[in-house]
Amino acid sequence: MGSLINYIIRRVLFMIPVFIGVTLFTFLIGNAAGNPINLIRLAFKGTLPQNVYLQLVAYYHIGENPLIRYLYYLWDLIHFDLGLSITSQRPVASEIGPWVWTTLYLQLSALALALLIGIPIAIYSARHQHSKSDTTITGIAIFGYSTPTFWLGIIFIYIFSFYLRVLPSSGAVSAITPWWGNWTLDRIAHLILPMTVLTYVQLATIIRLLRGNLLEVLKQDYILAAMASGLKERAVIYGHALRNAITPIITIIGLSLGASLAGAPGLETAFSWPGLGYEFTQAALALDIPTVLGITVIISVMVLVANLATDLVYGFLDPRVRVS
Amino acid sequence: MSQLTEEQTAPPKRVHRQRSATQWAVAWRRFKRNKSGVAGLAIVIAFVVFAIFGPLFAPYPPRSTESLLQGQAGQPPSWKHPFGTEINGIDVFSDSIWGARNDLWIGVAATAIATLIGLAVGALAGYSRGVIGGILLGIIQFFFVIPTLLLILLFSRVFQVLVYQGFGVNLIVLILGLFGWPGISFVIRGEIFRVRELEFIQAEKALGAGNLRILFRHIVPNVLTPVIVLASLLVAGNILTEVVLFFLGFGPANVATWGELIEEGVQYVSVYPWVALFPGLLVVTLVLGFNLLGDGLADALNPRLRE
Repeated sequence: MGSLINYIIRRVLFMIPVFIGVTLFTFLIGNAAGNPINLIRLAFKGTLPQNVYLQLVAYYHIGENPLIRYLYYLWDLIHFDLGLSITSQRPVASEIGPWVWTTLYLQLSALALALLIGIPIAIYSARHQHSKSDTTITGIAIFGYSTPTFWLGIIFIYIFSFYLRVLPSSGAVSAITPWWGNWTLDRIAHLILPMTVLTYVQLATIIRLLRGNLLEVLKQDYILAAMASGLKERAVIYGHALRNAITPIITIIGLSLGASLAGAPGLETAFSWPGLGYEFTQAALALDIPTVLGITVIISVMVLVANLATDLVYGFLDPRVRVS
Repeated sequence: MSQLTEEQTAPPKRVHRQRSATQWAVAWRRFKRNKSGVAGLAIVIAFVVFAIFGPLFAPYPPRSTESLLQGQAGQPPSWKHPFGTEINGIDVFSDSIWGARNDLWIGVAATAIATLIGLAVGALAGYSRGVIGGILLGIIQFFFVIPTLLLILLFSRVFQVLVYQGFGVNLIVLILGLFGWPGISFVIRGEIFRVRELEFIQAEKALGAGNLRILFRHIVPNVLTPVIVLASLLVAGNILTEVVLFFLGFGPANVATWGELIEEGVQYVSVYPWVALFPGLLVVTLVLGFNLLGDGLADALNPRLRE
């Protein structure tokens, strides 16, 4: 138990330099043109209103030296003050909340679905290596990670929204009349297409990795020993092989969770899905620097936390990790 | 025939050299047996040839709106315009050919930059113990934490607004190269850690071999195989990133790429679906090719699977 606590403390301590690195990095980008206001001005092409300008000067402590400005930035960040969005004039911190939620429920529902479908398929595929169904499964999977997600989304939109007209083409919720007569069903109707595309892509990754890992694990001597001792194949696969094959997958999921928090900006834009990826894209095009930096920092911190959680789960599942 | 007898009568020194060559011959033989890997290689070669010579036969210059003047904008696929035309009269087939050249260039050149940086950083991180090794590992892991794709978008935008717009595709090559190396360096670092503790390296050291000999004779060949595989997969990833980047409107203006065509196609997808469809199919095919090639190489070069 002591080793586990030690392990947790080490992981948490490691987060501190990375957090400083991330904040320093976003701070530097914001100051690429000397200070954030210069960058914001470019977006407005000289038409920045005087009162907004003065507000910005005060907020960014223009005139102080960069180190002091960075410390102010950290101080604000710790107090969850991310500044005012240039385009909407509202606090970035209060705008981001709903975006995080919108991205998360799309990403997590797709991930859950992908795991639910992917694990049994991968097991089946590994048990029947080189069979026709195995070839078909790996073929479908490799298409999944060779296809631009947003492009697949566009194809789906064309088929189901424009041609068949059975599902909505954009947004997370209808503006006036709900689909299928009810607001809960309306949200589900909007979720179906992007979730399907995302599930397919994540399914592809899970099948590919888990199948590969299982194939290697199934060649190990302890599997042979378990089989020879008379255990049923099912018991060997679920009790011994899967547990060893799935731990690397957890790392991958943890890492990809980070990537998926950034949303698939392409997919979210294709569906006008108001999540972090879509809003970041809009803000970056408009050079709305406070929003851009706010989203970057929030995602990075969430990834740090997700990675920590992954490490802990991993350390819990695999005792060897704790020691090294 | 004569070659064979020559080899048979060659002095023992040559036998040694021949053995090191057969390692690759073994890998090639294993690779050839893998149908999907060979298919990937064939796709990649076909696209490379297409990208080099295709533009010689392209019906129009890149981004040409010539067809607009002939009243041929927004035409569905026909013999004259095999992939149709988009709203400004750009011939989708012709621009797809130019796009093949640009996309392949982006994929390969960015991967080359990323691989070089990844090799250098990874080797340094793998060789140096203590503070420097720790700092380098920190930098690598830092790149795993930040949302890379979003930063690539932001960099492209800020650079074009702030510094210079005229780099064209090479700006994208540079940005993708500068953001693409951490994965490679992480793997290299791990490989060097693994290899340098192996007994035959210790034996070499005991025999008095220098660091450089060990590096080039033993470490580099061992590290090369994962690098080749990763590079092949990275090309695929870079092409996908390019497509997203252009689709979202962060690409340089007036460049013929598949992503740019898809962007234009998406805006009018309900009226002119072919504009987004055909370049997208090309993207899927080429990326599939590189992924299959990478997987095939991984199988062929993986010593654990070797019988």
